[in-house]
Amino acid sequence: MATAFSSGLSSALVGGADTIVARATAAGRGALAVVRVSGPEAAGVAARVCPSLSFARGWRATLAGLFDAAGRELERALVIPFPGPRSATGEDMFEATLHGSPYLVERLVEACIAAGARRAQPGEFTRRAVANGKLDLVQAEAVRDLVAAQTAWQARNARAQLDGVLSASFRELREELIALAAEAEGALDFAAQGVVAEEATLAARGGRCLQRLAGLLATAPAGRLIRDGMRVVILGAPNSGKSTLFNILAEEERAIVSPRPGTTRDLLECELEIAGLRLVLQDTAGLGAAADELEAEGARRARAAAAAADLVLLLWSVDAEGPEPAAPPGVPALRVRSRADLAPEVRPGWLRVSCHSGEGLQALRAELAVRAGSDVVDLGGAVAISARHRAALERARDELAGADWGQLELAAERLRWAIRALEELVGGLSSEELLDQVFATFCIGK
Amino acid sequence: MVDADLIVVGAGHAGCEAAAAAARLGATVVLVTLHRGTVGQMPCNPAIGGIGKGHLVAEVDALGGLQGWAADRAGIQFKVLNRSRGPAVWGPRAQCDKTAYARHLRRVVEGLRGLSLLEGETVGLLVDDARVTGVRLAGGERLRAGAVVLTTGTFLGGVLHTGEERRPGGRFGERPSTELGRDLDALGFELRRFKTGTPPRLHRASLALERLEAQAGDPEPRPFSWRTRAVANRALCWLSRTPPAVRAIIEDNLHRSPLFAGRIEGVGPRYCPSIEDKVVRFPHHETHTVFLEPEELAGDSIYLNGLSTSLPADVQEQVVRAVPGLERAVFLRYGYAVEYDVVAPRQVAPTLESHGVPGLFIAGQLLGTSGYEEAAALGLVAGINAVRGLRGEAPFVPDRTEAYLGVLLDDVCGREHREPYRMFTSRAEHRLLLGVDTARERLMATGSRLGLVPERVFHVEQRRGERRRQARSALEASRLNPDAATRRRVKALAGVELAAPASWAQLLRRGDVDAERVAAGLDELAGLDPDERRVVVGLLRYDGYLGRHERERERLLRLRHVPLPADLEPHRLPGLSREVVEALERERPRSLAEAERVPGMTPAALAIVAGWLAREGRLG
Repeated sequence: MATAFSSGLSSALVGGADTIVARATAAGRGALAVVRVSGPEAAGVAARVCPSLSFARGWRATLAGLFDAAGRELERALVIPFPGPRSATGEDMFEATLHGSPYLVERLVEACIAAGARRAQPGEFTRRAVANGKLDLVQAEAVRDLVAAQTAWQARNARAQLDGVLSASFRELREELIALAAEAEGALDFAAQGVVAEEATLAARGGRCLQRLAGLLATAPAGRLIRDGMRVVILGAPNSGKSTLFNILAEEERAIVSPRPGTTRDLLECELEIAGLRLVLQDTAGLGAAADELEAEGARRARAAAAAADLVLLLWSVDAEGPEPAAPPGVPALRVRSRADLAPEVRPGWLRVSCHSGEGLQALRAELAVRAGSDVVDLGGAVAISARHRAALERARDELAGADWGQLELAAERLRWAIRALEELVGGLSSEELLDQVFATFCIGK
Repeated sequence: MVDADLIVVGAGHAGCEAAAAAARLGATVVLVTLHRGTVGQMPCNPAIGGIGKGHLVAEVDALGGLQGWAADRAGIQFKVLNRSRGPAVWGPRAQCDKTAYARHLRRVVEGLRGLSLLEGETVGLLVDDARVTGVRLAGGERLRAGAVVLTTGTFLGGVLHTGEERRPGGRFGERPSTELGRDLDALGFELRRFKTGTPPRLHRASLALERLEAQAGDPEPRPFSWRTRAVANRALCWLSRTPPAVRAIIEDNLHRSPLFAGRIEGVGPRYCPSIEDKVVRFPHHETHTVFLEPEELAGDSIYLNGLSTSLPADVQEQVVRAVPGLERAVFLRYGYAVEYDVVAPRQVAPTLESHGVPGLFIAGQLLGTSGYEEAAALGLVAGINAVRGLRGEAPFVPDRTEAYLGVLLDDVCGREHREPYRMFTSRAEHRLLLGVDTARERLMATGSRLGLVPERVFHVEQRRGERRRQARSALEASRLNPDAATRRRVKALAGVELAAPASWAQLLRRGDVDAERVAAGLDELAGLDPDERRVVVGLLRYDGYLGRHERERERLLRLRHVPLPADLEPHRLPGLSREVVEALERERPRSLAEAERVPGMTPAALAIVAGWLAREGRLG
C-alpha cells in the first residue's frame, strides 16, 4: 500500500491561524451570553480586555472586569482561561459569560478585535479542535449535530457520535481492512520466503469485513430518520377532516418552536416531535374531482407531496359517499376512518378516529410513534450514520465485494480502494503503516 | 585543471553502474576502490532480483545498465517468483556465481573507454566555494573532477560484529573507511548508523544435501537483459528447516548476541531479521526455513539463506548443526553483522545530488538502501545526473507513477527512514502499471534518448510493443458466434460453454479459463512468443483496474504541475495543525504532489493547501 492519498480538492477551510473571537450563544437577547476567544494571542487579548484574568490560574472561573476598546469598563463577568493544549480547540482560550445584552456582547467582541483577534468563521472553533487532534472529523460533525438537535433522538445520536462510538467503529473496520491488506501484500511480496495466504482464509476475512460494513450501513435509514425526520402527509377527499386532524395533532403534540432558518413558515406544515423523532406533518388540499383550476392545482400538489413523503395518512370520512379510496403507490400509508363519531362502522385495515370525541387519537399517535421509530428502535447503542458516511461506506463495500481472492494483486487493489474510501472518514494510511503490519505478522528471511 | 569529469568512490553495485553509465555517456571517469580485486562484489546473498528487486533490475536494464546483463552471464539458476499470479507482481530472480558476476562487472569497468579504475582509499572531499572539486586520497594524492559520486556501501565507519568480537571492517576481510565519514560530518552531513547482517558460509562437502529437498529453476529460464539471447539453469538449491531446538540454543545465548547485548547501535531492517531476531520476535514459530545456495558454480561455498546472524561462533556452530542435513557442517566463514554510517535521507535531492555540497552525488547503501538492486538503480541515476549536471542538461528523475526507480528515489530522498530501505511492490501505488513486462515500454525510449540504449534495440522493442497491441486488439475484435462448430471449439480449447456471442478477450478474462493454455492455441496470438503471449493475456485481466490507475496517474501529474509558491507561509494557512505546518516549513515542497508526499501530511491538510491555492487563484 502506498502513500497517503488525497481524497480530492474539497472545499477550503476559511479562517486563519490567528486568534479568533465569537459570541458562542445564540443571537438576540438572553439572560446570559458567552463570548469565546481562541488562538496564539488569546492571553494578549485577555490582557487588554480582561486585565485581571491570569492564564497562570487556568481553568478557574473568576469574576473580572471586561473593558471595551476605549478602555472603559463594560461589565463584570465570569471569565475562565483555558491554557492550551487543555482547551476545547487545543489552543489558548478564554470564555466570558456576561449579561446577554446584544450591545454589551458586541462591544466586547469589538474590544477583542481591537486587541488583535478577528471574528471567527462558522465552525472555526471546531475546525481548530480537529486540526489539533482534539476531535476527529466524525466527532466534529457530531458537535454540529448536537448543537442543532431538536429531538430526543437527534440529541442522543449526536451525543453518542461525539463520544466517539462511531469513530471507534470506523477505526476498527479500517484496521481490519488494513490487516487483511497486509496479509495479501505479504503473500505478494514475500512469496520467496514461503509466505502464503490461503484464498479461503482471505475470502473469509473479507466476508467478515463485509458484514461489519453491512452492519454500519444498516443504520443509514435510522440515520436519515433521526437527522431529517419523517415526513407525514395527510391526504384525502375534500372535507374528509384533514385540517381538523392536522390542527389537533399540531396543537396537542409538542410542536418544535423554531423553524429552520431561511424557510418561510408554511401554515400547512408543522414540525412535531413524536417518540423522540422529528416529524414534519403536512396538510394538503383535497383529492378528488376538481371543480376548477385552483382545485386541480391543489390536488396536483397534494399528490406531489405524497410522493415525497415517508408516510401518508389517508383519510376517509365515515359519512363520505363513493368507494374506498386507494393509497398512492410507493409510499406506506396509515388508513384513517375520520369523523368516526358519526357512524359505528368498522372496516378492517382502517383506524377509526374522531377529533370530536377523541376516539382513536391515542391509537393514532401510538401508531405514528411506531412507524416513526421502527427503524430507530433497533439501533441499540449504535450511532446511526449520516449520508456522508453512507456514501463512503458504500464505496468501500462495493470495492470489497468485488475482490477476487484468486487474483491476489487485483484483490489487493480493491482493498486499497476500499481503505481509501474509509480514509475520508478517519484519516490517511501510509505504506509504512501497512509494512509495519506485514512485518509484525510474518517472519521474513532475506 | 581536472583529472576527470567524474570521480566515483566505491566500486560496488552502485559504483559500477554510475561509472559505466557516465563513461558511456562520454564522460571521463575515475573509479576509486579500496581494492581492485573486490570490484562488483556480492557480499551477501549471491542472487539478483526477486519481487520488487526484480522490477528494479528490469528497469535498470531498460535504461542500459549492467546488472541484468551481469546476472544473466553469471546466473546459475533462474526463477520467476509469483509466476502463477499476474504480470505486475512477477519477480524474476537469478542465483549467481558471485565470482563470475564480479568478474563480468570488472571486465566492463576496466574495458570501457574513458573509465579508469584506481586503487586507493578516499579520505576526504575537496570542496571549493561550497562546491565539490574532487577527492583526497590516503597518501596525500588529490584527484580533481567536476563532480563526485559517493557509493561506499557499508564501508563508512564500518564495524563488524561476531558474538563478543568486534573489529573495524567494511566487509569480511576488508578494512573500513574511517576518515571519509569524518569529512562528511565536518561538511555538515547528518550521519546515522545502520546495520545489516549476513549468514555463515558452509563447505559443500560437509553437508548432506542429498537428504534435503532440492529446488531447480524454471523449466524455461528467461534472461533479464535485452543483451542476452538465452540463459540456462546450471545448479540446484536446497531447502531445510531449523528445528524447535534451535530456539532454546539461541535464547540461552542471547546475552552473547551483540544486538541483544546492546553492543550494536545501528538499526537493521525489519524484514531481514537475523535468526536471533526471528526467534525473539516470533517465539510461536516452531521452525524457520533456510535455503542452501551455492555461491559459485564449481566452488565449495554454500550460502545459508535465512540464517543471518551475529551470534558468537560457537553458538553459530550449535545452531547450524542442529539443522537437518547440516549436522556435520564445516564453516568456511561465520555469519556477522556490520554496522555502518549512512547519510540521513533528505540531504539529497531526487536527482541524488546533495543539498549541502553541489556536485556531490550519493548513491547506494550509503544513502540507506539495502540490496544490490536498489544500489544499482541509485548508482545508475547518480551517474547519469552527475554527467548531465556537468553539461547543464536537465536531470533524469523518473516519477513514481512511471517506474519503481521513481518510487525508490521519491521514497529514499523524500521520507524519513529509520532502517535500510528495500523495495517491495507494495510501495508502488501503481503496481499494476509497473510490472517487469512493461519496463522496456516505459523506459527504453528514455534510455535511448539518454544515449545508453542503442536505437536499433529500442526500435526492436517498439515493434514488439506494437505486435502486442495488435494482438490485443485482435482478441478484442474477435467474434465468436455460438454455432455448433464454434461452441465445440471453445469447449475443447477453453473448457467452457459459449452461450452468447463473445470475443476471445472476454473469454480469456474469465476466472474459470486457463488463459495461458488457451492463448497458446489462438491464431490471433500466433505471431508472439510465449512470453509475449503471457503478458498480453495477463494484462487482459487487469483491464478494469488500469483505467482507474491511469486516471489517478493523470491526477497526480496534474498535481505535480500545480506549483507551490516559494514564499508560501504555511503558518498562515487556515486549519493546519502544528505538525503539518512544521513539516511544510521543513520540507518546502515545490508542488502539490510533493506536498502530498511530505511525512505527516494528511488528506485534510492537503485539501486545505489546495483550497488556499484555489482561493488565491493559483490552481492551474
